[in-house]
Amino acid sequence: MSYGEAFLLGITALAAIFSTIATYMAIMERDLLKAVIFSAIQSTIYAFIYYMLMAPDIDLVYIPVAVGLYPAVIIALIKKTTREEKP
Amino acid sequence: MITLSEYFMTILITCMIVNLGLALYGVFFKPNLIKKIIALTILGDTANTFALIIGYRMWVAGVPSRPPVFTEWRSNNPLLLFVFTKTAVDPLPQALVLTAIVIGLAVTLFLVFLTLQAWKIYRSVDMRDIRRLKG
Amino acid sequence: MKHWIGICILILTILAISFVVAANINVLVPSTNVRTLAEIYLKYTYYPWDKYFTAMSPEACTSIVWDFRGLDTVFETMVFYLAIIGAIALARGVPLKLPREIKGELGLSLIVKTVTKIVPVLIIAVAGSIALHGHLTPGGGFQGGATAAVAPVLILVVFSQFYLLKRGVNKNSMLLLRSIGLTGIGITAFAAVLIGLATGHYAFVLQNQPKPLAPDISLPAFVGGQLISGSLWFFNFFEFLAVAAGFTIVFLLITLPEKLAEAKEEKHVAEGGEK
Repeated sequence: MSYGEAFLLGITALAAIFSTIATYMAIMERDLLKAVIFSAIQSTIYAFIYYMLMAPDIDLVYIPVAVGLYPAVIIALIKKTTREEKP
Repeated sequence: MITLSEYFMTILITCMIVNLGLALYGVFFKPNLIKKIIALTILGDTANTFALIIGYRMWVAGVPSRPPVFTEWRSNNPLLLFVFTKTAVDPLPQALVLTAIVIGLAVTLFLVFLTLQAWKIYRSVDMRDIRRLKG
Repeated sequence: MKHWIGICILILTILAISFVVAANINVLVPSTNVRTLAEIYLKYTYYPWDKYFTAMSPEACTSIVWDFRGLDTVFETMVFYLAIIGAIALARGVPLKLPREIKGELGLSLIVKTVTKIVPVLIIAVAGSIALHGHLTPGGGFQGGATAAVAPVLILVVFSQFYLLKRGVNKNSMLLLRSIGLTGIGITAFAAVLIGLATGHYAFVLQNQPKPLAPDISLPAFVGGQLISGSLWFFNFFEFLAVAAGFTIVFLLITLPEKLAEAKEEKHVAEGGEK
């Protein structure tokens, strides 16, 4: 058994737990702007998980798309429509 | 017997399954269209992560797995190529996920424009309002 | 905070379920071997000893995307542009032009603007490096295009849309750039066939290196001692142009100041002008 692998996968598992927290907050949050920011946090953690899963190609395409462009587009949409989600 | 690496990998997969469930809940049961779009992006990312986990390779006898990039190509050494073949992760899911992410962004942009159009017509992005206004 | 209760329950459930699952079955965990197909891809991605099966690119992802499964990617590009065209068609009829007079200063404060003057240049440079080295290091056309599309978004947010429109980054010029990219992808896909027609040999669509059934035609893997991997460099470059221009059109349309345009239109109509 190699401890290096266990160490790296342990960091990945910790990141996955944080991504679950961010997803939960993004789904349950009533304020849409905060939901977008939680979604961006989840995307950042996913980018880290992709890096640990040995996929640098995916990282290079995922970071601009999911951390830069998705929040920008959805914030533009929120600015043109409404910010509050009705209960 | 359970090893630590397997336990951590199982935690990763379970977290992804829970994320998938949360995102599906958001897509199905949240009435707000913007919230549905956010949940749909999370759903797509999680599905891509499953594809990458399928292509992952655990460490072979203490040798770390590596990205599918043969960096020693200048040496022209078949032995290094053999070691690369035996330790690199699967490149096929990565190639499929690569285009899936870009196409997912384009489809999300299309949905954003549809939502904007719904806002222009109904002055609301809530599914219940839209259903009531236009039966 | 009622959220924290749910989060704690969620994490404890995850840890418990994964412990139970990992202790009993381990079908979820990936093995130490990859599939046979993946080993074949990894072996033949850069294999100069057998010219008939290799893609001559040390980057396995790019060689799968544009050589081994090139036809898939061509159709995926088609799906991508159908989505972009759908978005553009939904936003049609909206004026995307300069107003006659702009009052006051547009955009954010001076500090932000000064920083933003430097950053987009760096973004474009990094994106070009990612795209043009896509056959050697991680990267490629899709990655470079998505990275380059961040720069117009930054300028749109910080400087306002009129800054871009005044400098020629409008819908038509981006459509032209996108068309150049797509035409380039088409020409590169048919390059081997065209060479084969001119020289009277048999060749395939999307062919890069010689194949057993078409041993005479191939695109050069090395140009002047530099590895360009045949068609992969051209595919990466044209896909970079196409993806960056396609996204820029959509961002120009989504950040359109519609309230300003509607107010101008109403004022125009109220003053007796035609709609």
